[in-house]
Amino acid sequence: MLLLSARFEPAEGVRRRPPLSPCFQVAIAAVWMAALGLALEVLRPNWAGVGHGLATGAVHAGLIAIGWLVATAATPGWRGPVLRLATAAILAAIAARVTAWGPLAFLLVPAVLIHETRGLPSMRAIGLNGARPIPLVTGLAAGGFLGLHLLLTASLTFGYRVHASAAAYAGALAYDVGANVLSAEWLFRGALFTACWRRSSFWPAALATTSLSVVRYLLDPALPPAAEARAGAIFYLGLVGLVACALRAWSGSLLPGYLTGLAFFAAYRTLTP
Amino acid sequence: MIALPLVLVAAVAASMALTGQGSDSVLRHLYLLPTVWAALSRGAIGGGLAGALAGLLHAPFALPAVERDGLTSRTLDGLLSLGLPVLAGLLVGRLVDGSRARAARLDAVLAIQRRLDGQEPLESALRDVAEIVRRALRARRVALLVGHDIRTARLASVPTGTLVHEECAAAFTLASGQAVSSADLCADPRVRADEPPGPSPRRGITRPLTSGAGVVGAIAVEWTGDLPRLARAAADELAVHVGLAVENARLTLRQERFAEELSEKVAAATARLRELDQAKTEFLSVVSHELRTPLTALQGFSELLLRATLPPEKARRCLVYLHTEACTLGRIVGELLDLSRIETGRPLELRPEPVDLDALLERNVELFAAEHRGHRFRWTTSTPGAAVQADPDALDRMMKNLLSNAVKYSPRGGRVDVSACAAPDDPGMVEVAVEDDGVGIPAEQLPRIFDKYVRVPHPETVAARGLGLGLSLVKALAEAHGGRIEVESLPGKGSRFRLLLPGPDGHF
Repeated sequence: MLLLSARFEPAEGVRRRPPLSPCFQVAIAAVWMAALGLALEVLRPNWAGVGHGLATGAVHAGLIAIGWLVATAATPGWRGPVLRLATAAILAAIAARVTAWGPLAFLLVPAVLIHETRGLPSMRAIGLNGARPIPLVTGLAAGGFLGLHLLLTASLTFGYRVHASAAAYAGALAYDVGANVLSAEWLFRGALFTACWRRSSFWPAALATTSLSVVRYLLDPALPPAAEARAGAIFYLGLVGLVACALRAWSGSLLPGYLTGLAFFAAYRTLTP
Repeated sequence: MIALPLVLVAAVAASMALTGQGSDSVLRHLYLLPTVWAALSRGAIGGGLAGALAGLLHAPFALPAVERDGLTSRTLDGLLSLGLPVLAGLLVGRLVDGSRARAARLDAVLAIQRRLDGQEPLESALRDVAEIVRRALRARRVALLVGHDIRTARLASVPTGTLVHEECAAAFTLASGQAVSSADLCADPRVRADEPPGPSPRRGITRPLTSGAGVVGAIAVEWTGDLPRLARAAADELAVHVGLAVENARLTLRQERFAEELSEKVAAATARLRELDQAKTEFLSVVSHELRTPLTALQGFSELLLRATLPPEKARRCLVYLHTEACTLGRIVGELLDLSRIETGRPLELRPEPVDLDALLERNVELFAAEHRGHRFRWTTSTPGAAVQADPDALDRMMKNLLSNAVKYSPRGGRVDVSACAAPDDPGMVEVAVEDDGVGIPAEQLPRIFDKYVRVPHPETVAARGLGLGLSLVKALAEAHGGRIEVESLPGKGSRFRLLLPGPDGHF
């Protein structure tokens, strides 16, 4: 019991500050890479989407890198793992644009992440550990339910239909597994929610980080620009975010929330206008 | 049970789909029933979950209607039906949680008061109280410290087996009376924790246990995960109740201890009174015997003188006996009078004057040597012509008592040394010592030998006569002169009495 066993120094009131400077450096680098990718896309349209891939990879690499910095408080030596993760994300994103089955390269990103985080105690603190079966099943069920609800509502309102291209669907799923859902869970539920939850209580932390994750999706150029689609995104992604936060708090692990996101996006990816 | 309300919510949605009435179906109001049921059974989480499910299931009815018809009163009603179950579930659930928390707090307070009723030792009762608090607050760990210092305070913790650092947060609260709150103990810079942070924050609070007497202890509570405001308020309230209950328990224990001590004192006083009563009875018997012996002699010799005409030599011897016995009788009566004065609190009538100590001691030693030929008396002085400021009669009585005592407790004869000198450890006082090599006095009896009616029993001195008043009179007379008497003795080796009296004009 730490209130009895640990030394207490009442005068020590300065809390560890977030690593703003490294985060700023990483954000600048990510924006710069994304801008470079967009510039390539405009200037070299015949390069088969390399520029687009570079931009997409840079954004996800930036999100994963900031999550790493917040989780580890930018301990010395952070540049190595961040660089390797960013490289994996960018290469996967470029591969996804270059070949039909290239998106499967996104599956490398979780593998690199697991390799880099192995043996780091700070990773357990953000929830990067195993979970009991019940939260995993609950996460999967919640994501599946929200995904099915989205399909039903979208079909009733927008008249969206399920599309049948297996390669595109598999690619989208791989993107969710290795970039989209991974970066969202890693940064918003892992690093940011944990940091906020440690400082306050569940609801402020969950609302703040869910809002940030919804904003991140609203800024995604892949989201349909229609107002109804954006309202739906706020509604569903807000629910997905809150459910993921609740599962993270309940189970102490990021995996159930990750499964919720995957299940939801697995349903979402079947839609086509 | 949360599953059944959720199934009912799904059943309501299915009914609406089957009847095909759309978002304005009257069945939509049925969402509220399972939602409120879930809230009543599982609180805000259950109510919120059932309400959210109801809202989600109603969305496929309400949203297409909005898209199709725009915002009309009918579609707005549908949207309200979408949000209302969530709101109702959360509100009812929160009220239920609040009332349950209050009920749990009240139960805990009653249980704490029952446990700390002073009937059991405080340690075991405190452990139970810690468990009650832990359950009431749904905390992971609870510790109670009762006392004013971390090193001496009584500790009860659940789970047990907690190490205690002398400068921990609970010790800070105990010493300063200030509360400590930490949103995460593992990340709090004030807490020097060795453990790495876990996936969930470890909340911790300490609160002083206060009563009318001030801080009587501290309570420390740790939670893992979220710490609701209700739990924090409950912890504050329980700390107040625990403080009062602990103080009550301590007062009860103190009262019981006081009653036990009082009972022991009364028993001891009663025993002492019984002893005194018995001693007085024995005293009366001894006095009667002591008075009868010289009286018998007086009666016998006087009758002999009256009835018969004795030759002058024999008559003179009878007169000597008569005089000796009359003196004995006079000494006994004198002692009894002194005792009476002491007991009634009247001052002894003393007429202090410089007394030639050499002459007085020499006279008494010679007198006793003549009477007790089996003993070897030796009298020495380090300063010839020494004098003390004392009443001559009282000093004489003191010496006779001390010498008589030395003779009585040396039944097989032996050495009796009398000496006088300046007291080496007390300037201005004169020391007169009477030392014998008799039976001695056991150490446990030494504190009592100057008490009245006390005679130290010894197999060899059973036949010795006496009232048990001699030493108490010597002590009273010495103190009346501004002096004192001390004794050193070893059983089987003898005793040494040291009479300290003021010299003439305060010097020897």
